[in-house]
Amino acid sequence: MYFFAFILKNLLRRPIRTALTVLGLAVAVGSMVALLGVADNVQRSVESAFDTRRVDLIVMQKNKPLGLDSDFGEFFTDEARKLPEVERLSEGVVSNATAKHNEGVMFLVQGWKPDNFGFEDMEVLNGRLLKAGDTYKVMIGKTLASNLNRKVGDTITFTADPDHPYEVIAVFKSRVVFEDGGAIVSFPDGQALTGKKVTGFSIRVKREGGDGAAQIDAVKAKIAALRDPKDKSVQLDAQSPETYVESVSQLKLIKAVSWIVSVIAFVIGVITMVNTMAMSVMERTHEIGILRAVGWPRRRVMSMILGEAVLLALAAALVGAVVAAGGLYALTRSPKVNGFIEPGLSPWVVALGTAITVLIGVAGGAYPAYRAARLLPTEALRHD
Amino acid sequence: MTDGPADHLLFADNVVKTYPDGAVHALNGVTLGVRPAQYVAITGPSGCGKSTLLNMLGVLDRPDGGEVYFRGAPLSQRRDLDHFRAREIGFVFQSFYLIPTLTARENVQVPMFEGPKRTPRARAQKADELLELVGMAKRANHRPTKLSVGERQRVALARALANDPQLLLADEPTGNLDSENANKVLDLFTQLQKDRNLALVVVTHSDEVAQRANRVVKMRDGKIVSDSAAARGAQQ
Repeated sequence: MYFFAFILKNLLRRPIRTALTVLGLAVAVGSMVALLGVADNVQRSVESAFDTRRVDLIVMQKNKPLGLDSDFGEFFTDEARKLPEVERLSEGVVSNATAKHNEGVMFLVQGWKPDNFGFEDMEVLNGRLLKAGDTYKVMIGKTLASNLNRKVGDTITFTADPDHPYEVIAVFKSRVVFEDGGAIVSFPDGQALTGKKVTGFSIRVKREGGDGAAQIDAVKAKIAALRDPKDKSVQLDAQSPETYVESVSQLKLIKAVSWIVSVIAFVIGVITMVNTMAMSVMERTHEIGILRAVGWPRRRVMSMILGEAVLLALAAALVGAVVAAGGLYALTRSPKVNGFIEPGLSPWVVALGTAITVLIGVAGGAYPAYRAARLLPTEALRHD
Repeated sequence: MTDGPADHLLFADNVVKTYPDGAVHALNGVTLGVRPAQYVAITGPSGCGKSTLLNMLGVLDRPDGGEVYFRGAPLSQRRDLDHFRAREIGFVFQSFYLIPTLTARENVQVPMFEGPKRTPRARAQKADELLELVGMAKRANHRPTKLSVGERQRVALARALANDPQLLLADEPTGNLDSENANKVLDLFTQLQKDRNLALVVVTHSDEVAQRANRVVKMRDGKIVSDSAAARGAQQ
């Protein structure tokens, strides 16, 4: 018999308590993993899109942490285009939107020009891309198409512009979850719908044989120095895609909530584990006395109790990952949020969740293990 | 007959054990030597200190005064008493103390985790040999709840032999057995003591158990009041 088998049998002998402990921990860990997964998925999908589109800089209005609040004049895009280091530039407007008769489904509507980087990696499932001169035409992501039950040829009436139905000219698939769950209209239509001039723009710099780092730094400095003569208070901030994604307030909020939930889950997990293992030690005082009597040293008794706690934690991590994946899948079935949440868990998030859960096992098992190891054989054997 | 620790496998020298309140001596200066392959029965009324003495001999507890020697070496100076207990002493208890979730074969392997290095396969093989020795080979895969009380005690005996100790300590080993099962276990004790040259110390209320021993020590009020070996020595 392996020592591991001995530990496993100790858990299996109390199937109900083991199952309840694993379930309790799994729910706590699952919610933590799900939230970490949401943040990670958004970050990865946005980073991946910028990478594919070869975007070097994202430019938004400075001190507008929500991103969607950014709004500045076309003076900036005109000036930025003139910079010698800039190879290409894509500007856009973006805002939250709802459609008439489907007010419960909130999505992002973006106004793009036909040369926007975003069209390069977009897969049109049905219909055609926007072209210059299109008015009251809309392309919708596949998730939004499903949520609004619209197909090419149907119309969407935005609540922001109830007088003009927009014709659906394409259903597309994007690697960015917000785009899949959103709509794209022409840049002028976007300006009309959102009431903004420009929300932000992305820049691809000229490489000229190198990695473009010098050009990127030069463009950043020049953009920071730009001032619109009509409103000198507006200042822009150019960031790398990685820095931009890290600084997006919504993502920061999700991450902060994820970590708060993680801390709560950790505390609940440790308390659950201490309770379970302390009860287990108390019930098995007699048995621990036997083990000590036949020569088991304190460290082996500690290893046994800690081993049980870690095994429980690992089982909880496994079930928690399934709970998290199931929870995310269930969320992505809801039209209210599926335009913002992507299903699936990256191995990194599962590994992080497992590591935290094992830590819960060790932290929660430590005190009961210490207590068990301190039992004197004669006292433990006398215990009823 | 010499009386020093060096001449004995196990030697308790003037051992004192006081209850926590300090008023009552569970053991009041007990001196007892056990030679290799000797079968010693310790008898006496309840509360006379015989189980306490057994705990001291088996280093399950430490004396408040005096010393216990094993092969002439004082045990109070050893830091590896768990290791010592695992390898040198086998215990048999009145209530068997088998682990309910483990089969007979697995129960016998429990002390082997601290015994000589063996692979899991070798541990299982050794357990099977010991179960065969006590006539329990066919019940190796049964858990304690599926065994009779007599069978449980035989498994406990096999467990006590797991690391081939030279000393077996038994506390009322037949206390929970009917006479038929008690006889079977006692026969095993006698056989093992002879075949393996085991020193055997048995705490008992039973005259039948005491009669099988080649030395009977009687205790009262924490002291040894008679010792058949001493009596024989005096007669010689």
